[in-house]
Amino acid sequence: MNPDERAVATSAIRLMQGVVYQESDAWEDLLRHRGAVRDHFAVIGLDVVIDDDEGYAYLRTTEPEDGDEPLPRVIRRRALTYADSLLLVLLRKRMVEFESAGDQGQLVLTQDEILEMIRLFLAHSTDEARVLKQVDTSVNRLVSMGFLRQLRGRRDTWEVRRILKAFVDGQTLSDFSAKLAEYANGGADDE
Amino acid sequence: MDYAAIDALRERHPAWRMLRATHAPLLLSFLGRFFVDEGHGASPEGEIIDALDDELYMRNGEDPENPRFKRAAADYLTEWASTDSGFLRRFYPLGTDEIHYDATPALEKAYSWVQSLHARPFVGTESRLQTAIELLRQIAQGTEVDPEIRLAELQRRKQEIEREIEQIEADPEAGLLDITAVRDRYQQFSSTARELLADFREVEENFRALDRSARERIATWKGSKGDLLEELVSGRSRIDSSDQGRSFQAFYDMLLSSSGQEELSALLERLTTIDELKADRSIRTVHHGWAEAAERTQLTVRQISEQLRRFTDDQIWLENRRVLDLVREIEGTALELRTGAPPECGLELEQAGVDVSLPTERPLHSVRPASEVDSLLPPAEQEDVDTSVLADQVIVDPARLAARLRNLVPERGTALLEDVVTMYPVEHGAAELVGYLALDTDDIEVTTDEQEETVIEYDEAGRSMRARMPRVVVRRR
Repeated sequence: MNPDERAVATSAIRLMQGVVYQESDAWEDLLRHRGAVRDHFAVIGLDVVIDDDEGYAYLRTTEPEDGDEPLPRVIRRRALTYADSLLLVLLRKRMVEFESAGDQGQLVLTQDEILEMIRLFLAHSTDEARVLKQVDTSVNRLVSMGFLRQLRGRRDTWEVRRILKAFVDGQTLSDFSAKLAEYANGGADDE
Repeated sequence: MDYAAIDALRERHPAWRMLRATHAPLLLSFLGRFFVDEGHGASPEGEIIDALDDELYMRNGEDPENPRFKRAAADYLTEWASTDSGFLRRFYPLGTDEIHYDATPALEKAYSWVQSLHARPFVGTESRLQTAIELLRQIAQGTEVDPEIRLAELQRRKQEIEREIEQIEADPEAGLLDITAVRDRYQQFSSTARELLADFREVEENFRALDRSARERIATWKGSKGDLLEELVSGRSRIDSSDQGRSFQAFYDMLLSSSGQEELSALLERLTTIDELKADRSIRTVHHGWAEAAERTQLTVRQISEQLRRFTDDQIWLENRRVLDLVREIEGTALELRTGAPPECGLELEQAGVDVSLPTERPLHSVRPASEVDSLLPPAEQEDVDTSVLADQVIVDPARLAARLRNLVPERGTALLEDVVTMYPVEHGAAELVGYLALDTDDIEVTTDEQEETVIEYDEAGRSMRARMPRVVVRRR
């Protein structure tokens, strides 16, 4: 395997493992061989999305062209719970605010800040520990999905990763909003 | 300034608050030294904590009975960077997990004010007047539109220079500055040099303020699309084309031009050769300090412009607006729903990456040996063990055995092993007999004759032993 083939292979594997960030050592290789990597994944119906400005790259299922039978899914879709979704939406908002304020560097939140942010939307509970645990569970799930990253050597402090913007986009939010509104109306009708 | 404005500054300006802080001497001496005197830029938390720890240790060492600073270094830092204090800027740079701190312009201001309280034994005024006049000339010359007048001014200066040349030719001492005049100029130079360094932080802060106001205007824009685009275009160039941006760029270009660098180095070098001046050593490399600080500022400006460019990209801008609107909708619905059972709907997302799990990578079943614990061991009987055998391990030296054979058997002759043993009684028992059999040298051949049998008697550890074995013939080549 010559060095170029190796770089293409490594880039492809890193993309399969998850989001590749600008800060990663695989980034340069991926940019240089983006054509070859794209060709590789095009065969199995995956798009390689590379955002130069934001500095991240990931795989996405190619939308089938009109009349085409969609291929079997390679990438799993995941339905999040309401609590996880709500946290994700609020984090997305924080991201916009962070950027609008012109802050540099990365958006970092502590557990207290996350709790503060979400508390308003939770049913009032006297069981503080239960609320805490519930938020903890959501945070861990978002960590496993790559939207939050615990800072090295700091417990209870998370970086909100930029990739959030790509996954929680206008379309996704609008779907969620519609579903939620429907649920709210449906609930009212039942009463 | 009126009373209210000054009162507001006293309450709100971080520099003033810094002077009023309980720990002002610690704050100013430590942060002033670290960020201003030593010229550190944004630094990782660990580095500053280490330095502050040393400082606290030293301060507390002055009176070990009653240590004055009882809190941990990290506590002080957190307090100084809190929104209420605002003495330090605190942020997470991209690609690192450590908090970084940088001084604010307020710190520079407070520190330089405190420094200026030091009475100076000599205050030069002449050089400042000269500088002021020179600036006036530049303004007048630079704003004069009539070329005739500009030419006339240049002519006047040319004549002046020619007169100076004549003077020096007539009298080599003419035009030399006396030491007071030199000191006067040096003082002004060194204070300007230091002020310049201090100004960079403020320049940076101003850039950030420009950036913030641009983003604010864009984020709250309510006008039409056409107006928006116009605003975006002007927003894009706002930083570079501001007075701040242009002045800084001109400074940066001049400082980094190679002729500028060389001239500065040569001039600063000359400064240190004037003994009477007792020039501060650090002043000789002050231009490196400028270059470093300017480089940092330049980097910030680049980052800010880059981010602002991205932010003003209309697609992202529109997306951000849409996202905020949608989030507000969702928040509204979520508030309505919060009293009931949590809804059973959520976001549906693709995962990042592809789940690949190789079945063969995973062991299907692994048998773990059952472990038994037996804590009831029967007591061991006491036994005399001869430990000397461990120490008395014998090693048969094949070289010695070969030497014996060479003594005994003539060249090309043969001998039986039993005869050899008669001449050289066995000392190490069976091991020695085996040693003979295993001899492997160029000139000795040991063969066994399976047909014949022999019995060799020997002593081992005081006991008489008998070995029954095939007949062994030793032959020398």
